[in-house]
Amino acid sequence: MAVNGGSEHFDVIVVGAGPAGSAAALIAARAGLSVALIERGEYPGAKNVSGAVFYGSAILNKLIPGWWEQAPVERHVCRRDLVLMSPTTSVSLDFRSSAAGYSEPPYNGFTILRPKFDRWFAAQAEAAGAFLLTSAVVDDVIKEDGQVVGVQVRRDMGELRGDVVIACDGANSWLARKAGLQRELHTHELSLGVKEVIGLDEATIRERFQLTGDEGVALEYVGAVTDSVHGGAFLYTNRDSLSLGILGQLSSLVEHKKRPYDLLEAFKAHPAVAPLVRGGTLREYSAHLIPEAGWNMVPTLYGDGILVAGDAAGFCLATGIYIEGINYAIQSGLAAGTAAVEACRRQDFTRYSLMKYMELLYQRNVLTDLRAYRHAPAFVNGERLQNVYPELAARISESLFRVAGDRKQKLLPLYWQTLQQVGTKPRHVLKDLYHVARAYLW
Amino acid sequence: MHIAVCLSRLPDPNTVEVDPLTGAVDASRMLYILNPADAAALERALQLRAPEDRVTALTVGPAEADSILRDALAVGADDVLRVWEEGRTSTRPAVTALLLATALRTTELPDMLLCGTRSLATGSGKVPALIAEYLDWPVVTDIVDFTLQGSMVRFLRRLAKGARSEGEVMLPAVLAVEAGAAALRYAGLPDLMKAKRAAIPVQDLSELGLSPVDLNFPAPTAQATMPPYRRPREIFVPEASLPPHERVLQVMSAGIAQKSGRIVSGSPEQAADQIIAFLADRGFVDRAG
Repeated sequence: MAVNGGSEHFDVIVVGAGPAGSAAALIAARAGLSVALIERGEYPGAKNVSGAVFYGSAILNKLIPGWWEQAPVERHVCRRDLVLMSPTTSVSLDFRSSAAGYSEPPYNGFTILRPKFDRWFAAQAEAAGAFLLTSAVVDDVIKEDGQVVGVQVRRDMGELRGDVVIACDGANSWLARKAGLQRELHTHELSLGVKEVIGLDEATIRERFQLTGDEGVALEYVGAVTDSVHGGAFLYTNRDSLSLGILGQLSSLVEHKKRPYDLLEAFKAHPAVAPLVRGGTLREYSAHLIPEAGWNMVPTLYGDGILVAGDAAGFCLATGIYIEGINYAIQSGLAAGTAAVEACRRQDFTRYSLMKYMELLYQRNVLTDLRAYRHAPAFVNGERLQNVYPELAARISESLFRVAGDRKQKLLPLYWQTLQQVGTKPRHVLKDLYHVARAYLW
Repeated sequence: MHIAVCLSRLPDPNTVEVDPLTGAVDASRMLYILNPADAAALERALQLRAPEDRVTALTVGPAEADSILRDALAVGADDVLRVWEEGRTSTRPAVTALLLATALRTTELPDMLLCGTRSLATGSGKVPALIAEYLDWPVVTDIVDFTLQGSMVRFLRRLAKGARSEGEVMLPAVLAVEAGAAALRYAGLPDLMKAKRAAIPVQDLSELGLSPVDLNFPAPTAQATMPPYRRPREIFVPEASLPPHERVLQVMSAGIAQKSGRIVSGSPEQAADQIIAFLADRGFVDRAG
């Protein structure tokens, strides 16, 4: 590492020690580069909030074989529920599997507590040789002739210079905006997640969620749970606690004048959720922005001397079926790290050299997935999917399973009648069917 | 002038979570901080320092305690030293004080020793006084403000109920500072990075010329006495098994039962037995008869 005139020079400066940042720092440090990993929190993970289920176990396994044995993971997810809700009823699709892909190493996904996980992951990068600097807020990028040559840290003499800056500073990326790569985000592109961690003893969790050993469950809710706000809710089992929370699209929270914590309280009081959280004690309360628009909010991902990865790049797949982000963060971090390594090898840090990042993102299936499901976020956050169809499903199930001595209707008339009750026209349904097909089928 | 500052690393009280059932502290959720009073002491030391002066920061603790020494280096301490015996899990105030005093003796005695007046963890406030005892120096605790005049320190101490007392002490002395005495400065980026890479010197018992036996103080033998306490007042409670109106009567009589006779029945022998049993129950006669 070159030390010139007191200020240090790094090959790579990674801003933000979340999954994307630590992955980028890890791969660059392993390649022998001098890497600075800068984190604004007192420790990596201090400021990070996520559900969280981490579905990228296989990805991380390639990087750190058998990572789950040393990392602070909670439970491996082998049961997933998608629950449609009306105020009184819930209809769910329950998936559980003990197939090899789910219940044997490397597993499919783990529930994690981000403060612990991020601290561990950053420590891996540090062990590989990255220089981890905590309690350091990055205010701006330093530009010379349009080329990013470093970052400005909010400290005395806070200039830190490096050849490549990788911005992994999260959903509301200050750095990508300062570098002119990202526009101001719209409120309909962001969701606000409000989350609680509720302590509950291990035996109760196993019994309540029908789990054995370290098995875990991820429950995801759509419908009346968020009232008229577009969003959803989740409930994940940790070892001796539950992570649960609601997500609400910012624009619709504003439009309906709803407070997210009121929604969270309503969610916890819902008849389908209340028995699951009964008797728990509140341990943590946190909130975070989530970039949900997917493909449509992806910024320019590379510039002269700068790359954008993770949530800062909007790499979050919220399509209803998939609610993933951490895996894409790690993938994009690895891609950015690799691109930086190659740029350093060529000693060419212009955008043309760093364009390699795009190729790597396609190779690592980040952009391919995001592009394939580019129509899904708009559909998922649409009015009817959010509020009408869960209600419809609930009502149809209610009439289907109720025995009151009346003549039993066949399904089509029942469906027709319920459709009219909830005030949706058949052409809307057809239109939505087309949207579903476009978003998910081809 | 050479100023030494004693620092301690302790759990952040905001992260200490106690299991209500077992009373155990969940160590996995705990984060550690520099004791706020020690931070104030460090800041005062840095403020006092003239260009030719030196500030040394010391701590007693395991390798994890290096982090607070790095913080001290980052804000401007010239030297740091960590003292620890491998394998030890905790220290009592007397041990901490002995280790710190010995470390100061073996390296270089400072002109002034600053420390926090008490830790946020146990808050016994014993360490400053014990160090002073080992060094045979005067100690002033609960200092909210002080100024240096030559080799004399004028100080302002906190007393109970918001009172303050002024005084003077000649150096060398141990000055124990309150947490509110100063706010620790913010380190600059180059210093922070340099501190992060710095090697932290460690001394163990043998380097201090101590043996583990020196740390095994006999347990304090004080006579246990119970403080006098008031006998709790007995409150009359009516018998729960009685019907309500009788309970009300009992309450209204304020526990004073009306005198009432009791007539025994049966044959004369049985009656006599009952009377004797009655008297024996109340200790008037021996039952044996």
